[in-house]
Amino acid sequence: MVMRTKYSSFALLVSVCAVLFVGLRAEQATVPVTALPNKAGSYKFAVLGDFGTGARTQYELAQQMTALYGRFKYEIVVLVGDNLYGSERPQDFKTKFEDPYKPLLDAGVKFYASLGNHDAREQRYYKLFNMDGKLYYTFSPKADLRFFMLESTYPVPEQIQWLEKELQVSGSKWKIPVFHHPLYSSGERHGSDTTLRDVLEPLFVKYDVSVVLTGHDHFYERVKPQKGITYFVTGSGGQLRKGNIDRNSGLTAAGFDTDLAFMAAEIDGDQMYFNAISRTGAVVDSGVIERRKPAN
Amino acid sequence: MHRLQTFALILTASFAIVSAACSRGEQAPSPAPATSASPTTAPPTQRVVGPLSEEDARALGTMNDSIKAYLATHDKVEKSLPKVPDNATPQQIDTSQRNFERRIRAERANAKQGDIFTPAARPVILRLLNKVFGGPEGAALKASIMDENPVDPVQLKVAVNARYPDTVPLTTIPPEVLQTLPKLTEDLEYRFVGDWLILLDTHAHVIADFIPDALPK
Repeated sequence: MVMRTKYSSFALLVSVCAVLFVGLRAEQATVPVTALPNKAGSYKFAVLGDFGTGARTQYELAQQMTALYGRFKYEIVVLVGDNLYGSERPQDFKTKFEDPYKPLLDAGVKFYASLGNHDAREQRYYKLFNMDGKLYYTFSPKADLRFFMLESTYPVPEQIQWLEKELQVSGSKWKIPVFHHPLYSSGERHGSDTTLRDVLEPLFVKYDVSVVLTGHDHFYERVKPQKGITYFVTGSGGQLRKGNIDRNSGLTAAGFDTDLAFMAAEIDGDQMYFNAISRTGAVVDSGVIERRKPAN
Repeated sequence: MHRLQTFALILTASFAIVSAACSRGEQAPSPAPATSASPTTAPPTQRVVGPLSEEDARALGTMNDSIKAYLATHDKVEKSLPKVPDNATPQQIDTSQRNFERRIRAERANAKQGDIFTPAARPVILRLLNKVFGGPEGAALKASIMDENPVDPVQLKVAVNARYPDTVPLTTIPPEVLQTLPKLTEDLEYRFVGDWLILLDTHAHVIADFIPDALPK
């Protein structure tokens, strides 16, 4: 009788946990999806981070990226760092990057990398990362859109000075900084990099940045707008830290920490549409961001 | 307010370094050159944000001299090897890096701890780090450095001329630390392995020098 009671209690506990777990997943899955408009003339790109593991799951997410490309022709993928984990011998470039994304590379999709804390500095010379030998750089794939690719593990004053100058002279309506360490994150493992925030955030606010793309924490998170800026953490392109989003951080607008994910985005005039897509192809977050405009 | 404080620090440092430069005797080691108005515009290897006493400036001058000597060796090796193109293949990158590593190690076969972080400069570096980490942001700065850095430098066999371990991620070095320590060129970087401060040759993947227990407890 005692045994039966114990088993019953255990079964009840398991059931409650299962209901809670399913409920949490259901909550993520039932968020209304804002479809990417997929308009002719809009600019389409993807965002990927913390991916270069060479594991099966990285390849599976890469297959979802390829599947998306079949119906949504994004031109580039911006990489938020941690492009290769562990060894970086020539075969690693193949198994951790060139093989999984081969269909995209073959289709002419260009990858633009920033470096994370797991990346050797030589990656800047790697042709397929399009860094042109620079640790930090900027490029404009389309009028009114410019990416600022930063090196956040070693923010020398020269880089900050360079960034300010580039933001200042850029006439692009959309200025999107891309780097590894998140200024805002609900990660229990890493979380927000407040020292970097002190230096970068004032520039982002001053120069009307609307969206910032980061990684490092191994999940997907869209942070509630901070001083008008939407921060994304897209650090689960290959690595995953399950259940690592602190739901009590007060920062999370949407989060997904149960599987790998990447982001697809489309800029159409003053709107940026986005979808976060999981390894199974589910859209786990979506929405539209209105561009910030100068105060005057 | 922060900018004003930084400006005041720079002015103080400039004054201290210029004073040191003016008062040195014939036999004294060369002092750190004067910092220009903004640390970001100072030439490589010449930026030091103080406040520094004349003695400290002189001590860091010995480190600047060693860095210059190291960079001369680095440049010599670099010029002797084929340049890595900006659109390199992984094979080209790997070959260049391994050759660089081998050559640097051969050129510095007799290098030892303290050759760059000189005995004179080392206590000043430690004092500067103590000042940075002892400030109000100290805990956050330390947390930033220790992120993914729970490693034991002894177990990892950190040593002069050792290869930086491939499996150990690079520590983040916060802007405040980079603004405080003497400026380096892109070929050398400050990093931490555990609580040891290392000078890392980024092309050769070789540890050029280190200071054990540099991160204040």
